[in-house]
Formats: sequence, structure tokens, C-alpha cells
Amino acid sequence: MSILAYNGAAIMAMKGKNCVAIAADRRFGVQAQTISTEFEKIFEMGPQLFVGLPGLATDVQTVFQRLKFRLNIYELRENRRIKPKTFMSMVSNLLYERRFGPYFVEPVIAGLDPVTSEPYVASMDLIGCPMETNDFVVSGTCSEQMYGMCESLWEPNLEPDDLFETISQALMNAFDRDAVSGWGAVVYIIEKDKVTKRFLKTRQD
Amino acid sequence: MECLIGIQGKDFVLLATDTISARSVVAMKNDHDKMYKLSDNLLMAVCGESGDTIQFSEYIAKNVQLYKMRNGYELSPHAAANFTRRNMAESLRSQRSQMVNLLIAGHDKVDGPSLYYLDYLASLNKLPFAIHGYGSLFALSIMDKYYLKDLDFDAAKDLLIKCLNEIQKRFIVNLGRFRLRVVDKDGIHDKGMVHAEPDESTK
Amino acid sequence: MAALCAEPPKGGFSFENCARDRHQAGQIPFPLARYITYKTTHHSIGWGECTHTQKNTNDNVHMDGVVLGADTRATEDTVVADKNCAKIHYLSDNIYCCGAGTAADTEMTTQLISAELELHRLNTGRIPRVGTANRLLKQMLFRYQGYIGAALVLGGVDTTGPSLYSIWPHGSTDKLPYVTMGSGSLAAMAVFEDGFKPDMTREEAMKLVRDAIAAGIFNDLGSGSNIDLCVITQGKVEYIRPHEIANQKGVKQGKYLYKRGTTGVLSTEVKKVEFDIIGTEIRRHQPMETQ
Repeated sequence: MSILAYNGAAIMAMKGKNCVAIAADRRFGVQAQTISTEFEKIFEMGPQLFVGLPGLATDVQTVFQRLKFRLNIYELRENRRIKPKTFMSMVSNLLYERRFGPYFVEPVIAGLDPVTSEPYVASMDLIGCPMETNDFVVSGTCSEQMYGMCESLWEPNLEPDDLFETISQALMNAFDRDAVSGWGAVVYIIEKDKVTKRFLKTRQD
Repeated sequence: MECLIGIQGKDFVLLATDTISARSVVAMKNDHDKMYKLSDNLLMAVCGESGDTIQFSEYIAKNVQLYKMRNGYELSPHAAANFTRRNMAESLRSQRSQMVNLLIAGHDKVDGPSLYYLDYLASLNKLPFAIHGYGSLFALSIMDKYYLKDLDFDAAKDLLIKCLNEIQKRFIVNLGRFRLRVVDKDGIHDKGMVHAEPDESTK
Repeated sequence: MAALCAEPPKGGFSFENCARDRHQAGQIPFPLARYITYKTTHHSIGWGECTHTQKNTNDNVHMDGVVLGADTRATEDTVVADKNCAKIHYLSDNIYCCGAGTAADTEMTTQLISAELELHRLNTGRIPRVGTANRLLKQMLFRYQGYIGAALVLGGVDTTGPSLYSIWPHGSTDKLPYVTMGSGSLAAMAVFEDGFKPDMTREEAMKLVRDAIAAGIFNDLGSGSNIDLCVITQGKVEYIRPHEIANQKGVKQGKYLYKRGTTGVLSTEVKKVEFDIIGTEIRRHQPMETQ
């Protein structure tokens, strides 16, 4: 078991038609012992930009705080919202800076471009190697299960409501096969004019 | 082997800690106080490596006091918890890191009572109830079953004793008496010591 | 102001977590995490065009371009992390570089050297040479004693003509007419050894590189998916991505969509995205002057 699996997490993001979705489980545990089922793993980095941080919980919190700091400085300096791709570089640089003593998080980024509203999803390994895709990204302790679910459920041009069902079912059925993630889930559907946050009813075992 | 328990009630937080100071397998002391007063409405319970616990909690306590003197107002429980977390996360990255588990209980005029759980890796969680140590293996399930939102002090104390009884019954190590304190809008109050009630079958 | 800056800007790597991570590895008896690695074929080859009028000054094979090739699979242990990643990296307008090894290292190293080459170009006012890129890369990798796990194939065209290097993680390099790197390099090299000849045409060279990458894709488990090519000649670059989709995915026969309302929702919160109106402009149609 790696340090990345110490607290347990499952996060994924998907592209849809003019929309993106990002979803995560809500468990915080210490190995097999569940401590909390209201742990935040997805963070708002702009009105239409979210980052999910699965991994060691202490680094989830530290990395989020450091990213927020860098983002605030960026927005003050540039006086505009950050583009998802630029934000991805910011995360990547933060992680690669610690190449030889990494933070144990493997981020997932989802958002719409603040100007063009172009959907964007990306993920990264713990030393910041970026991976941009046209379909979906997954990260966490049950990534193999999530890959399997996404690979079979996802299809191009899903409407927001269908995207919600797809990502929710993909996530839930993946973490139901993982002992250290689950216990509730949260799904964000990001559209041009609104962001919908839903808490899901899930198994509690 | 140590045990810290925290329960958040309607307008207070109850903290309970065992009172044994242990070296190896020997109990050196049975009236040890594992709680530190951070400010008028902030109380921290600490366990872990014996040197680190004192070093770290005194550092935090004095800095919380210093903040108040410099700024003329106190850190909120939320701010104090995050200050502690940040210090711990940074010490974790130094050559010699601290091995300390914490519960931070506080009362804020605006936010009301709050209980924070902080483990030695510096993961911070705000929880309605929390237990550190082996006791958690036995008592968390009791909490899950019997904890109610907005319980009063007597109910919280009953719940605590339920937990202590279970720990006493199932855990091979005798944790002895527990020290009780409460944080509410009026400050920190000593609530004496409690003991697990003797098991029916051993009477 | 300085007191406010929680993270004073400084260059280079930060080693602040090293002690902690070592500590944690002992504390929790876990191995450290795995990184995404490109276990890949990255090959490239130089080629010459017979019909070209310009001759090299020495009697060597006349070559006036390079072909770089790569597959597009990235793996994390045995899981395919990315089915279509780009492994041919831009260094400058006339130099590109294939990367194998630790994905983050190949990505970041090539980005860094690319920036250094651009500064070099601006300082000198000359098109950077492939040899310069090679020297920058090998000196950086040597400095990090192999801990930066980047295995590279460097190719480009400059005033001295086309050239091709392979660069190893410890900083050693080879300058050769054809080279391969990565886990598929053995399969690919077999194809090169069989098929390489001096003075190949552009089409012959592209075919040979394609075959070499394909050998990696189909015979090495660490390599897979598509074939990317990059053909660099004097003053011209063709980055062909994908050159060939070696593994076409089958079309999904059924629909696996869940009906709307399947998922149980505990609560919903909708947040409207606020738009700032930056300016309003009314354009009036001006009738054309017809008199």
C-alpha cells in the first residue's frame, strides 16, 4: 500500500457537450478506519474552474492552500480569471518543483475557459506530469475501476443531465469496489451559465 | 495507548483525556494533564511522543497568546486550528518532525462550538465527535450509534461514559481515570475526573 | 512587503519535503509512490535525399533531414494512463526531441531546455544548433546524476545539416545515423538494423521509422496506440500527429447511458455564473452612398 492510499480517495472528471463534470467521494480515513464522511477533495479555483486532489489528506490541504495563494497572486497581477490550461501549468510547476520530495497528490482539473467556454479536463501524477484528454480523467485509490467504468460508460457530446448520470454511476460503481473510498459523493456539473453541485446517495459500507 | 475523546454538543465541546503518563510499559503517573489552554475559549488535547507533545503544544499555546497581544483580538477556533495545522505540516517537512495527535475544542461567538481533529500527518478535520488512539477502535462505533446533534452536557457525559465502559471492557490496557473539561461561551470549565463504570458481570 | 510573501520566489527544485517523505516511508511501511513512466519506443533516424543537388563537403552520406517518431502510450505501472500522449517535444523551430522514461522529467526537461535555447537564439541572433541543445541537455542530466529519468532522442537541422543524438538519463550521448530509446527500443532497433541504408529518400525514411515504431507498438507491452512522426528538413518542419492510427478502436455497439433520474441525489445547489458586462457597443447600419 502506498502513501497515496493512506487516506483513500476517488476523483474523476469528464467532458460533455459545452459542459464538464468533476466528481469525488467524501471519505477521510486512516487506512481502514473511517474518521469523516464530509471531507473536501474538490476545490473551487474560479467560477468555472475546479481542482480535485486525491491522495494523502495533509498534502491535499497543503497543496490546495499553496495553489490558492499562487492563484490569488496571479489574478491580482493579471487582473483577470485564469484559463484552465494556465492553471494546469501552475499546478504542474508546483508539483514538479518538489520532484525529489513530492506532495502525495495526483490532481484532476476540470473547467470551462473563462472566455471561450471551451471544456477542459486534465490530470497529473504526483510529480506534475500533465495529461490532457478529450474524454475523461481519473485519479485515486480505485483508478483502475474508474478507468473501466469511464471507458465503457462515457460517450461524446453528453448533455449536462446525461453527463451527471454518467459520471455519478461511473464513480459510484468504481468506488463500491474499493474499500478505502466512497461513503458519499459530490458531483459538480459546470455549464456556461451555472454550476450545479449535487451530493449523492451512496452505499455506506 | 493514549486516548483523547472529543464530543461537540449544543453549545459546548466536551474533551476527555486519559491521565496516564507512560514510559515504555510502565505507568509513571496517573494524574497527568494532557490538555492545554490556548486561550479563554480554546482548549487542546494532545497525545503522542512525550517530548514532542509538550514542546509542540506550548509553542502553539504561546503563539496563540502572542497573536492576541499583537492584534488585540483572539484567533477564532477555525483560525487557531489552521494555524496549528500549518505549523505541523511545516514541522513535518523539517529534519525532525513532531509526532503529535491533537483535538482542538473551541467556542466562538459567531460560529458556536467546534471540534477539530488533527493527526500527526497534519490532516485537519472538523467533526462532531472524535477519538485519538486505540480507544477509537472500540468507541467510535458507540459514538456513531448514540451521538445526537445538539445534545446537552449530561447526555454528552453519558455518551462519554458509554465509550469509556466499552474501552475498559474490550481494551487490554487499563487507561484508568479520564479528565473532563468543557469549552463553552463562558470559557473552559473543569468537570473533574471520570472512571469507567464497573462491568455488570464483574460486580 | 517581504514579510507578506509566504513563498519567496526562488528558482529550481525544492527539497523541503525530502526529510518528511523519508520519515513517512519508514513510519508507514509503504514503498514510495510510483510515477507515470513512458515505457516506450522513441526512435528516429536520419535520411538523405539522392536527388538533392547540394552535396556535403566531406565524402560522407549526404543527409538533409531527420525523421523523429514515437508511439503515444503512457503507462503507470501496468495501467495505460494515456492512450494518446505526445512524446515528440518542441525544443526550437528547427529542433525536436522524443522523450522516454519518467514522463514528468521528459516534459519538464524539454520545456526548460526549449526556453534556454530561445534565450540563446535571442542573445546570439542565430538559429540554435542541435549540438547546443545536446550539450545543454546532457549537462543538465549529468548534474542530476541520473535522478532525472529522461531518456531522449534529439533531432534537428542547423547550418551543419541534420543531426541526431540519443541522450541517456545519466548524461551520456551518442551521435549516430539512427538511434532508438525507450522500452520499445530493442524492437525498433531490429527494424533499423535490417532496413537502414544511407541516402534514403524522405518517403523511405518515414516508412522505416513507421515500421520501427510499429514493431515497438506490437511487440513491446510498454508501447502502444498511435504513431506520431516529425520530419525536419532545412527550414521546414512537419509534425504529423497522428501519422497512423495503428490501433483503431471498435465502434460501441450498444448504448450504456443511464436514464436520467437513476442516481439518488441528497441535495442540489445551483450557482449562477455571474457575467461582467465589460462594454456595450451599438452599431448602426450605415446606408451606402448611392448618389
